[in-house]
Amino acid sequence: MRTERVTRWVIAVPMMVLAIATIYPMLYALNVSLKTRRDYVLDRLGITQTFNVQNFIDAWTQADMGRYFLNTIVITVVSVALLLVLSSMCGYALSHLTFRGSKIAFLVILSMMMIPFQVIMVPTIKVLSDIGLINTFPGLIAVYVAQFLPFTVYFMTAYYSGVPKELTEAGRVDGNGLFGVWWRIMVPVGRPALISMGILNALFVWNDILIALLIMQSPSNRTVMIGVSALRGQYPDNVPTYVAGVMLTVLPIVLVYLIFQRQITAGVTAGSTKG
Amino acid sequence: MSTDTTSTRSLVLEGQAPGRRRRATDIPLRRKPWTAERIAPYAMVLPVIVVLVVFRLYPLLLGINFSFTGDKELNGQFVGLGNYLTLLGDERFQASARNVLIVLLFVPIQVLVAGLLATFIFLKVPGHRFYRSVYFLPVVLSPIIIGAIFNIILAADGPLNQALGVVRIPGVDWLGLPGTALPTVLMVHIWATFGMALVIFLAGFATLDAELLDAARIDGANLRQQIVHVIIPGLSQTIQFVFVTTTIGMLTGLFGLLYTMTAGGPGAASYLPEFYIWKLIGEARPALASAASVFLLLIVLVIGLIQIRVLRRATKEI
Repeated sequence: MRTERVTRWVIAVPMMVLAIATIYPMLYALNVSLKTRRDYVLDRLGITQTFNVQNFIDAWTQADMGRYFLNTIVITVVSVALLLVLSSMCGYALSHLTFRGSKIAFLVILSMMMIPFQVIMVPTIKVLSDIGLINTFPGLIAVYVAQFLPFTVYFMTAYYSGVPKELTEAGRVDGNGLFGVWWRIMVPVGRPALISMGILNALFVWNDILIALLIMQSPSNRTVMIGVSALRGQYPDNVPTYVAGVMLTVLPIVLVYLIFQRQITAGVTAGSTKG
Repeated sequence: MSTDTTSTRSLVLEGQAPGRRRRATDIPLRRKPWTAERIAPYAMVLPVIVVLVVFRLYPLLLGINFSFTGDKELNGQFVGLGNYLTLLGDERFQASARNVLIVLLFVPIQVLVAGLLATFIFLKVPGHRFYRSVYFLPVVLSPIIIGAIFNIILAADGPLNQALGVVRIPGVDWLGLPGTALPTVLMVHIWATFGMALVIFLAGFATLDAELLDAARIDGANLRQQIVHVIIPGLSQTIQFVFVTTTIGMLTGLFGLLYTMTAGGPGAASYLPEFYIWKLIGEARPALASAASVFLLLIVLVIGLIQIRVLRRATKEI
């Protein structure tokens, strides 16, 4: 037993090193973002001597970041709301209602998970152009919803299959139709799962670059991530301002992570173990 | 809303009685008229099916169809396997295909690192809660942000090389050399995503038989023996799952890093199929891009079939 305790402490050392290696790049970036341009050129590694908040102000105002944030917030909120409504309704039907074709529907939805977006990039552009939604918010939102729907439906179906049938039947006795049962019983009961999926999908949408890059071609429609990657060309020789722009987009994510860590991990581990 | 939830909760407790009688609400017997009751389940599933058919299934078929037609002046004309033959002779395609193999070599590294660290956290090394939170943090950051940060750190005249210079190790242009560009990007990817594999492992550990582990410990099994004889056999399903998700993550989740860190370069040294497809779209060669998409689909399909098997086993019964 004693040697085991020693072993544990020995193991803790490389783990600490790794933890530092995980956090350090972010702290380093934060450090750089507070330097003046001159300081950065002279000394890249040292702790900043100045507290140059001007970098953040420059990145925010000169690069139109406010607009990109607003675009992304709208897109994220609408996409996530649609995802949650559609998937909880569908998950309820698939897990609690018997109807012809339910098994096939579930299989079709699951199999859609296997199609990565990269494979359908070309035809997606074609489809969106044909219905006039290329380079529009609804077009991007539709593609996000389609992208994250299969997993979200899977998650909600799995969650709802753990809800006892007696519960929904009691709801029926109270005089609810099926949609009433969904709204008054399944939505409240499914809250933990819905929160998990909401946070996770919001992160996916917020962080995406590929889909946004493909669909939003005009600068005024840019999302935050496109905006950030364009910053580099804007400040080719002013690293601190560039990094300050990057850090602006990190902040909300780190906040969300600190608050919702448990829900996020619950979402990503779904399906990994037998229920 | 709140009253609903409380009444719901008491119902859960009362309603545990087993034995399901068939009730009038259990939907259809046979040949009933199409009442609102019977239509409702379809109405609930239909929107999802419509979205998926319009924005996933139809594009998929359309894309496969595109791959047999020509680009530019041959637009829309059937060219048979022409695009596929062009691909085989294309240098950037060859690089992409070769790089897929390199990517696959990095998968076990990620699984091993995450598995080991998860084991240590599970065995409650001092500070395990803290490590868990820290390791997962980069997972929630966009590849764009991670790429931006590492671009600066890894630059030829950047801080990493400067730090190496202090201990008299000559610097390397990590992202600028054909030999190091892709491996460097892959290492950054592992840095950013091993936390994901880690929490999946930990979820698997939670299902592990604790008594078995205690028994092994009391019988005097050391750490290595505990891992080899108890933990690994108990986790076979989780390990399988992590392998599949890590592989798919590496094959379809590197675009952001490639886009910010190497742009596929130098030359085509860090091209992957997804990046190649995206480039071809920019070069107005949609048909050739479609053929490359089919190639990527085939790779992912093989891995995805395994994934479905694992996922279906995880859902009890539907």
